[in-house]
Amino acid sequence: MRLRTRKLLDRSFSGLGFLSIGFMAASLLVILAPIFGRGMGAAVFQGTIEHRRLMMEKFHRGDRDMIEAELDQVRAARAPVYDMIAAFKEEPQRLSFGDRIQRRKSMREVEDLVVELLGPLPGKKRPILIRDQYGETRWDQAKVKLGRLLYIEEYDYSDRAQMGRKILVPREQKFRGTSLQPLFAYVEENMEQMFLPRTTFYWRFLFDRSLDAHFFGGIGPEVLGTLYLTIMAMIFAIPMGIIAAIYLVEYAGDSSGIQLLRTCISSLAGVPSIVFGLFGLAFFLNTLSISESKSVLAGSLTLALLVLPTVIRASEEAIRAVPHTYREAALSLGAGKWWTVVTVILPAALPGILTSIVISMGRAAGETAPIIFTAAVSVGQPLKFWETISQPTPALSWNIYNLATEHEAVDEIRHIQYGMVLTLVLLVLLLNITAIVLRARISKKLRG
Amino acid sequence: MNWKLLSIIGLSFVLIGSAVADERIAIDGSTTVGPIAKAFSEYYMEQNPGVNITVSESGSGNGAKSLINGTCDIADMSRFMKDKEFNAAVEAGVFPVAHVVAMDGIAVLVHPSNPISGLSVEQVRDIYLGTVTNWKELGGPNKKIIAISRDTNSGTYETFAKLVMNKQKMAASVEYVGSNGGARQRVQTTPAAIGYVGLGFIDHTVKPLKINGIEPTMLTVSSGTYPISRPLFMFTNGYPELGGHLHALVTLHLSPNGQEIIEAIGFVPVTSY
Repeated sequence: MRLRTRKLLDRSFSGLGFLSIGFMAASLLVILAPIFGRGMGAAVFQGTIEHRRLMMEKFHRGDRDMIEAELDQVRAARAPVYDMIAAFKEEPQRLSFGDRIQRRKSMREVEDLVVELLGPLPGKKRPILIRDQYGETRWDQAKVKLGRLLYIEEYDYSDRAQMGRKILVPREQKFRGTSLQPLFAYVEENMEQMFLPRTTFYWRFLFDRSLDAHFFGGIGPEVLGTLYLTIMAMIFAIPMGIIAAIYLVEYAGDSSGIQLLRTCISSLAGVPSIVFGLFGLAFFLNTLSISESKSVLAGSLTLALLVLPTVIRASEEAIRAVPHTYREAALSLGAGKWWTVVTVILPAALPGILTSIVISMGRAAGETAPIIFTAAVSVGQPLKFWETISQPTPALSWNIYNLATEHEAVDEIRHIQYGMVLTLVLLVLLLNITAIVLRARISKKLRG
Repeated sequence: MNWKLLSIIGLSFVLIGSAVADERIAIDGSTTVGPIAKAFSEYYMEQNPGVNITVSESGSGNGAKSLINGTCDIADMSRFMKDKEFNAAVEAGVFPVAHVVAMDGIAVLVHPSNPISGLSVEQVRDIYLGTVTNWKELGGPNKKIIAISRDTNSGTYETFAKLVMNKQKMAASVEYVGSNGGARQRVQTTPAAIGYVGLGFIDHTVKPLKINGIEPTMLTVSSGTYPISRPLFMFTNGYPELGGHLHALVTLHLSPNGQEIIEAIGFVPVTSY
């Protein structure tokens, strides 16, 4: 091959390399940027007075006097709205029967939307569900609700051959000439005074329990549940994995039985996680009955089984990579085999073993399928440590799925779902960084 | 010395664990009844601190299985137990007792841009049988119908199959979705879709169709005029011990507060205070 062709090929290859790195970075940005941006929205947002009232009443937080003062201010701003509604109800309506029924229906819609926006009408009994006790706690959501109050979403079906076209009709039109008409302009102009939005940093989002099935509050039980599941899974998986790896490398030899065992372990690593989930349900819960209901214990045992092959394989590689001279030196100094493994080989293989543990930990924290049937629930209290042997827990991975698909008010609590996603990503990242640092320090120490 | 200390600590954990374990209730099952169960447990835990109620939503079929295996205390179901399940339960020494907590209608949903506003039961059946495949045939635009159904593990599916499909098999082109929320989401994002969910899952992003000319509302469901209505159940193993937390929870719907919760979520209460 001519030198020029070789150079050209070389350059084009490195160009290709740069391109793929650039592509990877871009896709990482495309994935991570929204996760960060939207996820932060769960904790950092424009909080309204309703948010501060909720925090005070449910969590006893905030400066009571200040919030009371703000509430007075807000009540004054909201009073005309309620007055207008009351006045409209009193007003004689010279309408035909059909129109009156129509009007009453439109009125009820307005009232419902006002209640959704501002919270229950004054003088009414306090609703039982917390979601109905407060108005909009987030400014962005309040503006969406305002849009729904101001405009009716109607569809123009005049062309039957096409799908209807969305048209926004000002709701005001339905109440032209009545005492309710000024309400819409008033609400639009006085939104700020009625809500007093302020930038809120709700860092306790990570630790608070959820209120009313994730409508309000934080994700404390989920974070705790994920930590319990991950740590307990590792407690089961690490000793088993390392001991198995030591046995396979140092003691087992190379018979065909052991070969078969190795193949089995490798293929176990490729089994889909849902299969582990069903196995966990059938074995730990239905056959062994290790707990009466789903429990963290059953879930973490299942997760441990899931990550075990990874731990074994990677630890095996790490132990195998320890130079033979180490073993020979230890043996020549009179150490027994067991002593050699414990004092020489394991410390030397530790960085590699740690890597395997880190990778598995990230996987255990993020897996959903193995815990669906064994440990995860959509609503539950944060558990005390000893309760983990008998009780199920909410967990981030499962609750993200649950909120995205099963929750009755998906669109209203999107921010909580995003917050969970970000928390999970950060949690895994944190685990990885800790282990990378730990690994670096150990390697440094080993090198002396 | 150390071992003694450790074993004492371990033992005390187990003891505390078993003491706390009495105060817990596991609920599993239907995604339709899920919102009721979640709201009830939230309300109940606020009234009775120290009780831990966990709610999972995995479908009526799984709820029944969990009750039979003894892994849950209350099985939420949006249909009655099947013969097979009942037999399996009795064989396992579990005696299912049904508590009807609310009534529900199955609303047939379309995208709000769809000009169709009502269908007959037969027309809905034809769509899911695959004999009607285009909205044009029903007086709508020329668009292929995308039929969304709940998965076969779901009680909503069973009810739909019985009341609408007459137990005839759905077409192969029908898409199956694992939850009520998922079915609504699919319809809300797909203009040509049709789907069905429980009454509590209707919101302003989708349009519920009139069935045989009757709108699915709390009124038409409670009066029995809406053709696709059904009771929602909570099943327990035997009638729960009177005065216990379990009993209080499965009879909560009979109290004024329970009724208010059910109404607030959008289902039809069985009581009228």
